[in-house]
Amino acid sequence: MNTAELLYQSIQSAASPTELAWIADKIKTDSKGLSLAFVMAPRQVAKTRVGNIPGWNWQNSTLDQLVRVYLLIQLAEKEDGKSRIETLFDTAEMNELVALYRALPVLPTPEIWLHRATDAVRSNMGPVFDAIAFGNPYPMQYFSELAWNQLVLKCIFNDKPIHLIEGLDERANQALANTLADFAHERWAAGRRVPSQVWRLIRNFQTDTKEQDLKRLAQSADPNDQKAAELVLQNSPLEAWKVLEKEETVY
Amino acid sequence: MCQNPNEPKINPSHFEGSTEEKQTAQEVDGGFAAYTQGMKFFDPHVHMTSRTTDDYQALADAGVVAIIEPAFWLGQPRTGLASFKDYFASLVGWERFRSSQFGIKHYCTIGLNSREANNEALAEEVMEILPLFLQKEGVVGVGEIGFDDQTPAEEKYYRAQLELAKEMGLPVQVHTPHRDKKKGTERSMAIALEHGLAPHMVVIDHNNEETVKSVLDQGFYAAFTIYPFTKMGNERMVEIVKQYGSERIMVNSAADWGISDPLAIPKTAALMKIKGISDADIQKVTYQNALDSFAQSGQINEKDFIDGLEIDQSLKFNGNTVLRGGQAPRVDKNSIFIR
Repeated sequence: MNTAELLYQSIQSAASPTELAWIADKIKTDSKGLSLAFVMAPRQVAKTRVGNIPGWNWQNSTLDQLVRVYLLIQLAEKEDGKSRIETLFDTAEMNELVALYRALPVLPTPEIWLHRATDAVRSNMGPVFDAIAFGNPYPMQYFSELAWNQLVLKCIFNDKPIHLIEGLDERANQALANTLADFAHERWAAGRRVPSQVWRLIRNFQTDTKEQDLKRLAQSADPNDQKAAELVLQNSPLEAWKVLEKEETVY
Repeated sequence: MCQNPNEPKINPSHFEGSTEEKQTAQEVDGGFAAYTQGMKFFDPHVHMTSRTTDDYQALADAGVVAIIEPAFWLGQPRTGLASFKDYFASLVGWERFRSSQFGIKHYCTIGLNSREANNEALAEEVMEILPLFLQKEGVVGVGEIGFDDQTPAEEKYYRAQLELAKEMGLPVQVHTPHRDKKKGTERSMAIALEHGLAPHMVVIDHNNEETVKSVLDQGFYAAFTIYPFTKMGNERMVEIVKQYGSERIMVNSAADWGISDPLAIPKTAALMKIKGISDADIQKVTYQNALDSFAQSGQINEKDFIDGLEIDQSLKFNGNTVLRGGQAPRVDKNSIFIR
């Protein structure tokens, strides 16, 4: 079963006959009709919570959001689908942007949307950033190392939970480890801290200050920082880091 | 004494307060918040794009829970379609998000304003993209549209947008002109009726003592902009409510890049309270009527903001919010420290 069929199955189980009739009517239209249907979906389809769908990692999504993704898949297959979708990006409100970014990995030829995906990382709108950053396999699959590091760093900078990023540990790299060490030093200089789980990203890399940084963490009054130092020093497996996947006081 | 500073002698205000009331108003010091405890306000016309975060903070503190930002003229004419597109997109995007950070629900109306309707080549292009924006979530009407200089081009695009509103079942927010206001207001209403719009779907904005009676008599909503110098003062507003009651009347701030006051609604509510207008009437003109008129778009759900902004479950992680959406980032403005 392909993604569109999988989505439609969930839509069917949650939608009313009127909603299904509206969807059926819209997918018969041309690319302009599909674009408008994408825009007006929440006026026609309720925001019913849809349970998690196997093989689809948009947790807690709602019916209107799934319908939007379904419509986008249809639209992307049209001849002028790309330019229509570009216009949807250019004119999008926040919920539309979220649906667009969530849909990227399941569109045909996802790689052509890389410029949009990196734009989402620059977004100051929380939900838009989250749509590309969390539970979305797109960055892991398509981002360059530079773009990937920017994503992770921005996440840490904004005190967001990095463990929700797909591929976090697989794509850890030396350049990111160096930048993170610098970033932690800046925070320390300002009398602030970074979330303890950030240190999982340097565990496989050597940085100029690794030894003294770990010492500082080990001597910290914060038990989470002590734990982080211990996990790096003992070369603990990734699962051991789960205990630090939680919200911490950051300042 | 006339309270309209513009034309004190030749055209005195019809609704002067009594000497006693004026005395009261002069004795009350600036602390309006003491009179508005527990009140919630809905400002159906405020241009937040032109305001700072300080204003959002002040609005939230004063009890403003929801606002509508009409699309308007930015102080100078736009030269291309892309600037319109980005402006409309910012009303449904960044500005909406910025507002949510202060716990205020942000809606907007989308339209081609009267001034820029006079650039016909560009106006045609804008008309092309309007439907795309009018169908969006949280777009509660077509606005603000209407007359400025009352040119043929203004009339053409006013009519075209009334048709769009009718087709999409959206309320209309009508800007009435500063100059030749009375005639312009009558003309705006006549054209709306000619296009078959139900009066209850049309909010006639920027009313004054001269226009209000006709607007209400014909069944339209009458909005009053409390704006220093050029529009209504709030003392005059109190007299209007005394005379006409609270049915289909609403106040707004229309705060923008000019000398204006985003707290116009709470301040007017305080003055109404001081001057003996009932709480029920205050609630209608500062909250309920704005809500009822624009909720006809089907895009306003009072539950979304009446008890604070709802936090989307998808933004939560481990039971706590990632975004801390709706929580206002607070800064103690009196503190010497900036951290």
